[in-house]
Amino acid sequence: MPIDALCFLGVSRFGYELGAADAIRALDAEGIGTAVVAAMHPRDGDLARANAELAEVAARSGDRFLPTARVDPWDGQSALDDLTHAVTRNGARALLFHPDEEHFPINDIRLRPFAERADELGVPVIVATGFHCVSEAVQVGRFASWCPRVPVIMTNGGQLNISGQGQFDAELALRLPNVHILTSGVYRDDFLERTVKNFGAERVLFASAAPQFDFAYELRRVHRVRMTADQRRLVLSGNAERIFGGPAA
Amino acid sequence: MHMHIDDVPSLGWELSAETCVASMDEAQVDAAAVMTIVDLPGGANPTAMELIAQACERFPGRLYGFIRLNPRHPAKARELLDVAVTELGFRGLKLHPVSSLAHPAHPDTIALIRAAGELGVPTLFHCGDEPLTTPLSIAPAAAACPDAPIILGHMGGYRHVDEAIDVAERHPNIILETSAMPYPAKIREAIDRIGVHRVIFGSDGPVSSPALERQKVVRAGLTDEELDLVLGGTAASLLGVA
Repeated sequence: MPIDALCFLGVSRFGYELGAADAIRALDAEGIGTAVVAAMHPRDGDLARANAELAEVAARSGDRFLPTARVDPWDGQSALDDLTHAVTRNGARALLFHPDEEHFPINDIRLRPFAERADELGVPVIVATGFHCVSEAVQVGRFASWCPRVPVIMTNGGQLNISGQGQFDAELALRLPNVHILTSGVYRDDFLERTVKNFGAERVLFASAAPQFDFAYELRRVHRVRMTADQRRLVLSGNAERIFGGPAA
Repeated sequence: MHMHIDDVPSLGWELSAETCVASMDEAQVDAAAVMTIVDLPGGANPTAMELIAQACERFPGRLYGFIRLNPRHPAKARELLDVAVTELGFRGLKLHPVSSLAHPAHPDTIALIRAAGELGVPTLFHCGDEPLTTPLSIAPAAAACPDAPIILGHMGGYRHVDEAIDVAERHPNIILETSAMPYPAKIREAIDRIGVHRVIFGSDGPVSSPALERQKVVRAGLTDEELDLVLGGTAASLLGVA
């Protein structure tokens, strides 16, 4: 069954929300077995608490949700501690950065300790990518260069540009072998096809990025892309199992 | 209401009319507005107008031409617009401020939009997240040309969709076109706020899939009557083929 490599649960201070029950219903409706989930940016800004609540929801979900740890690097050492706690105590499968909502450039040198901590903990890093000045694909690539053994996963194919003008930057970042992309919001089939062809299907993961994007529509994108059955299996679930550990890990 | 044909190998664009029509057939799309990727005059394809005209001639009733122009060459652009519409049967004007660097509210742009309106054809803007193309950048042009239909292609892209709906609420000559933007639910919201006759299906194909783009409209929760209008009824009126 497909694995959704990223959706968000909770209530965001930025005006959107998705509850666990609604997410499960949407996953069931689309035949998606599992979702990697991240906390929304909560109204009180307490990401450590949001991560803990997310871990509880995931633990009760019967392996439908694989939690991540979302941290705000401006919190410095306490954010590093929260990351370690979330991974070692609460089973977080990845570190999630959202440079747009937490307002930091992903290539700021102060993030290097997070790259190194992710390496020590053996977890991948998902970066909300394509946001001007803070998470352009080449900026994410710079971050990825600090942790070459860590899978670094760019959302939205590495860009949020309705003319596709970030595609070359995304491909520059993909020259680093640890950089991957999510399919969420990529409006052009040929961009995904090019990534599969030029960098390998191992570098592409299906994700909805719901609730901002739509579970069903985002899954249909992947079924539109021309690739072999083996490649599609990797994109829909195989890569997520390898990178996040899969439901039973 | 938004597909591309061009032949500019130096920019990596080789999109044939046949490719367009094949993707339309797959998506069960009867007709499309087609335009080049580059502008006239001075763009990378000096024969852009002829390319579109010939494509429409080869596929009558399937392809309708939009002339893509750079308003920063006001006299030549106006001349090309006249020829395209009155002699070659083009059905619209396409403006892409990222490639032309012409601000939508610049007097030369406004003059061209107004001329298109006087010729009875709409103006389709690329409307996304980039500077020069956001809904609020286009809004002054809509205010300056209240009798000229202005279509916001991509209805604001990824992060300006709410802004596009807001601008359309305030300017009744603005029409929203659905291509590429990733939110099916926003189509429903737009119809509720500005009316079903001002939201039209576009694909930005053939590089983005008309079949998938059509699914976005189908998934928006529209009535059958609304679906008919968004998928073609309103566009047919705009193209003058209703």
